[in-house]
Amino acid sequence: MNDVFLPYIARIVEVCDETPDTKTFTLRFRELKDSTDFQFLPGQFLELSVFGYGEAPFCMASSPTRPDALQTTVRRTGQLTDALHRLGNGDEVGIRGPFGNGFDVEGTRGKDLLFVAGGIGLPPLRSLIWNVLDERDRFGKVTILYGARTPTDLVYKHELKEWGKRSDVEFHVTVDRAEPGWTGNVGMVPVLFEKTTLRPESTLAYVCGPPIMIKFVVQDLFMRGFKDEAVISTLERMMQCGIGKCNHCAIGHRYVCRDGPVFNYKQIRELVE
Amino acid sequence: MSIPSDMLTIPTTCPFCACGCGFYLLANKGELVGVAPSETHPVSRGRLCARGWAAHEAPLWGSRLREPLVKRNGTLESVSWAEALDHVTGRIKDLIDAGKSIGVLGSPRATNEENYLAGKLARAGFQTNNVDFSYHSICRPLIAGLEEVTGEYACSISLNDIESSETILLIEGNLAKTHPRAAFSVMKAVETGARLITIGYTRTQMASLSSLCLQTAPGGEGEVINGLLAGVLHLGLEDRISVAGHCEGYDALRRDVGAVKMTEEMQRAAEWIARAKRASLLMAPTSGQGDQPRKDAAAFATLAAITGHLNRPGSGLLLLLGRSNVRGACDMGVAPDRLPGYQPFYDGRSQQRLQDLWGKKLPSARGLDAESFLQSVSGLIVLADDPPSVLPMGQRAMAAMERMESLVVLDAFVTPTVGAAHAVLPIASFAETEGTLTSMEGRVQRVRATTDPPGEARPGWQVLAELCARFDVRVSFSSATDVLREIAQAAPRYARIGQRMLDEGWGGTLAEDSARGKFVLHATGVAALTSAERPQVLARDGAFDWGRDPLVSFSPTLSRDYQSQRKLFPNGFVEMCKQDADELGVRAGWQVKLTSVHGDAVVPIQVRTDLKPGVLLVPYAFRDHVANVLCTDSVTAVKVEQA
Amino acid sequence: MQPIVLTIQKQEIAKWLEKLLETGEVIAPGAGHCGDVIFSTISSPAQVLWDFENPLHPPKQFVLPQTDPIVAIKRNGQGHEVEPIYDDTRRFLFNVRSCDVKGIAFLTRMHEMEPADASYLRRANSLTVISLTCSAPCPLGFCVCSDSGPFLSGGYDIQLTDLGENYLVEVGTEKGEAAVSNAANLFRTATEGEVSLRKRLETAARNRFGQETCHFASAMRRISTGRVEDALWEKISDWCLECGGCSLICPTCYCFSVKDRVRDGDWIRCRTWDSCQYAAFTLEASGHNPREHRKERMKRRFFHKVSAQYYVRDGTVGCVGCGRCIKVCLGTAHMPAVVGAIRKGKWHE
Repeated sequence: MNDVFLPYIARIVEVCDETPDTKTFTLRFRELKDSTDFQFLPGQFLELSVFGYGEAPFCMASSPTRPDALQTTVRRTGQLTDALHRLGNGDEVGIRGPFGNGFDVEGTRGKDLLFVAGGIGLPPLRSLIWNVLDERDRFGKVTILYGARTPTDLVYKHELKEWGKRSDVEFHVTVDRAEPGWTGNVGMVPVLFEKTTLRPESTLAYVCGPPIMIKFVVQDLFMRGFKDEAVISTLERMMQCGIGKCNHCAIGHRYVCRDGPVFNYKQIRELVE
Repeated sequence: MSIPSDMLTIPTTCPFCACGCGFYLLANKGELVGVAPSETHPVSRGRLCARGWAAHEAPLWGSRLREPLVKRNGTLESVSWAEALDHVTGRIKDLIDAGKSIGVLGSPRATNEENYLAGKLARAGFQTNNVDFSYHSICRPLIAGLEEVTGEYACSISLNDIESSETILLIEGNLAKTHPRAAFSVMKAVETGARLITIGYTRTQMASLSSLCLQTAPGGEGEVINGLLAGVLHLGLEDRISVAGHCEGYDALRRDVGAVKMTEEMQRAAEWIARAKRASLLMAPTSGQGDQPRKDAAAFATLAAITGHLNRPGSGLLLLLGRSNVRGACDMGVAPDRLPGYQPFYDGRSQQRLQDLWGKKLPSARGLDAESFLQSVSGLIVLADDPPSVLPMGQRAMAAMERMESLVVLDAFVTPTVGAAHAVLPIASFAETEGTLTSMEGRVQRVRATTDPPGEARPGWQVLAELCARFDVRVSFSSATDVLREIAQAAPRYARIGQRMLDEGWGGTLAEDSARGKFVLHATGVAALTSAERPQVLARDGAFDWGRDPLVSFSPTLSRDYQSQRKLFPNGFVEMCKQDADELGVRAGWQVKLTSVHGDAVVPIQVRTDLKPGVLLVPYAFRDHVANVLCTDSVTAVKVEQA
Repeated sequence: MQPIVLTIQKQEIAKWLEKLLETGEVIAPGAGHCGDVIFSTISSPAQVLWDFENPLHPPKQFVLPQTDPIVAIKRNGQGHEVEPIYDDTRRFLFNVRSCDVKGIAFLTRMHEMEPADASYLRRANSLTVISLTCSAPCPLGFCVCSDSGPFLSGGYDIQLTDLGENYLVEVGTEKGEAAVSNAANLFRTATEGEVSLRKRLETAARNRFGQETCHFASAMRRISTGRVEDALWEKISDWCLECGGCSLICPTCYCFSVKDRVRDGDWIRCRTWDSCQYAAFTLEASGHNPREHRKERMKRRFFHKVSAQYYVRDGTVGCVGCGRCIKVCLGTAHMPAVVGAIRKGKWHE
């Protein structure tokens, strides 16, 4: 029997301003034992309690290969995230989880990986990207395509530069609208497909971002010969319990919090609303 | 850990809309837990709407007022009851001595006992007739119109009777949302073959179930009602006996609708209404400038009268009042020109009765209505009301309250009005007090205390009685029942409501006037709103912003949709049909500039498919964004252009 | 365990109840206001009602209260302490019906599924359910359609059957055994004659149902294979006023939300009843709502209740045929009406 609604207590150890409305929080469990208990997979999520405001689901933006740097990236959208953004180092939050199915890391060894992210869609993919980069020789070609509305809206700005410098990663970034000083690509994410060569037969594509971006990217991938099972995304729904009981995230008989949030497109097509 | 139960199941009345459902509040160890339905309750009969099922939430989860507060150096500080009452008494007395005016706002969210004592405090205590409730401005025309025809504003059909109607005529904003229990009765009738005719601006759920949907532009209801009147008269379908025996002004009516053009649909509807043995006519507040809504209501009642449905068993008219105790507030005399019993303030007999009962002379100068006295009084007592959320010009009301010299608020919940208060007297919510509410059917039912009020909060009637005493007004009540006893003397219709009815049963209905006098017939006027210069109409959609009512906004389950809408549309929006949007060259989210005789405003638009061309609707919740354009009108002609 | 079959004389029931009252809380159907029957805690055997229609408010509130405090969050200087709130008060639910036994068993199965919910299970494990079989169908019930009555063949703690002068007492679990052994002198082993009388009474009760009022099988097939047209859901949903009563009153519905409530400067995390029929149930923070239209929500409800996919997962259809949704529906879209519409492919025609 678990006290499934009982959160671990964690402290914020670092806050990083990614964009005017997005911050990355680095969290550390207050009790060491909780840190060991909390074994997670990339692509899983946690339910973060901001005491006094409630709980909300946020994806893990860090990888289990770096256990001391549990991170989540949160955009300010309402009362709870507003309250979270007002917290700083040393402040306590609650964590429940890890929840969800996560990415199938073992099943992707040796494959070529394509990451396509838009805006705030990069954080969930970064949990897998870090894992892959930390075990680089166990995977094939790694291509990362990322875009945001403006240069200011790009998250992980420092890290993007690091990825750009690596020789074992092909990285391209674009913005919808340039700002003074921007010398990179301009245009929506699909334009980056022209910058790279894709091998649909051996590549797994991970796509994450605003619904409209996903729609166009995924269309593009299918046109280029990607099969349904090879295109993977994360679904978002209103969630409360995280354990498949409250029914808020149910789609047909699947629960986004248990059977997802990671789904490939074959599974997505089978979901009965 | 053992948590033994200490369960209570307390029968009470729903505090939301005016249908008057009943249920049980469940509490455990002194805290509210939930709601259980009642099968024996004559209105609910086992059912509740979403609001009823969540009735326990606001008292449990809401920001509650727990201690008396007095503003010192710009902040509200907690003080003792004695200090708070002394302070309030002192301030109001100072203002009265200085010749300044005082106002009292009652509330359809407060009990009869609270409303009665608020009126008594105003008239006997402060010697003013500036007593009213915010929602009154919305429902007054409806009530006045019915009174013009029947001499009183009693409704003549019950919700249960609607189920056996053959024809239902409904003028609505959106019945399924405003009065779900009434919508259920309509559904049951339609299920068994009743013909439903709806009149409204949008294609609502009731419209989807209707046999005939007479969609109008706002302000166009009058045309439809006249058309129905014409239909009945031209086809010779009036109830001759009823007309001959009970109606006055028949010839004038015939003349007035002589030239009215009827459509084929209006004719059909008229036939259905006139030929039905049992018909229900349901009316919600309508849009219109000046006198129009009252005239429309009178014409609607006239339609019921000439088709015999005002005085036939199983038929009748029902005013769709928005909030649980609108009728009670009216009956308690919470109106500048009405005394308890909703008697005109100039009625000698009522005046005498009250003067004898209260031992005080009544103020003779006529009072102002809520909207007006808010702008002019220096001292204001607000009982469980939040004018900015209810009045058509909400921000203007807030500004007025912020300017006041002494604003005293009695409430259970922290509302925006509390923010402007100089003194706050915390009172119990509906779940923590004893009292009665009067539904739109005229049922007087109890609310009962299920838990204790939080902190130092007290039952509202007690606090008002204390204030009365400090203003030299005779009060000797040891219970809410005592107050009701006095109410029965002040408003004789309430005399019939016995204690047993209230305690052992689910409540009682008000006495009907035994002698139904004549019905005075009226057609309505039809004034053209639009002009070449201002070819479109902008109207307020709806008559009540539930999202801002504390019983909803503090309920986690009920507040979700409203909160989301407010968050996503911080600048509000007006709705128009796609045709209009295309002609203007705008899309959803784009801004338009609206200009009327009153002024102009820039506001984003949303597109909806079920509006007539030329019609713009602003949700009641967003009316402040177009306050310059509408002012106090509920509909006005506008020019629309890209912003 | 093998069911133990005993009997108790009717005049001894009060003594048994008194024994139970010494051991824990006893909840039974009692008199509400003006003739309502409501499950409430009793303090004396005389308060138990025996002759009534099943109370409209189901006993699920005793395992899942409408507002259920589950975690206490306390401030501790700059930090916080969290503590689960659980309730393992011993309780007896007395004189419930077979449908409600099935309902609680269903809820327990849901909350036992990994990861198991300790808060729920502590309450459920401390609750002993003593039910009475129905000798005739209640006016709106259709328990035979979902194998939830009028008699149960298993899954009960204690099942009583009125044999005339005494009750047959079938004990199905250890919890039931404990409830009986406390007052062992009031019970004796049932005779073969009594056991076969019970069987005959069951057959007679089943036969009284006549035409079954709700056929799940064909509706299940259509729902599970996506063969119910959108237009039908649209028509049905026009007759729903989104009160949520069906979910709240249903013995097998358990949708909930989790919210933190302020209490004396600290917080209590509460689970609260919710309904998939409410528009905001799936409303996301972004404003997007995947089930924006009523017809979509109606489709969702019946998929969860009746589909084969859930049947396979849960071991049973999500309905115990108690008929409460018919009484509580603020419209005309209750279980038998909708299932009927799905079978016939039409609504109100």
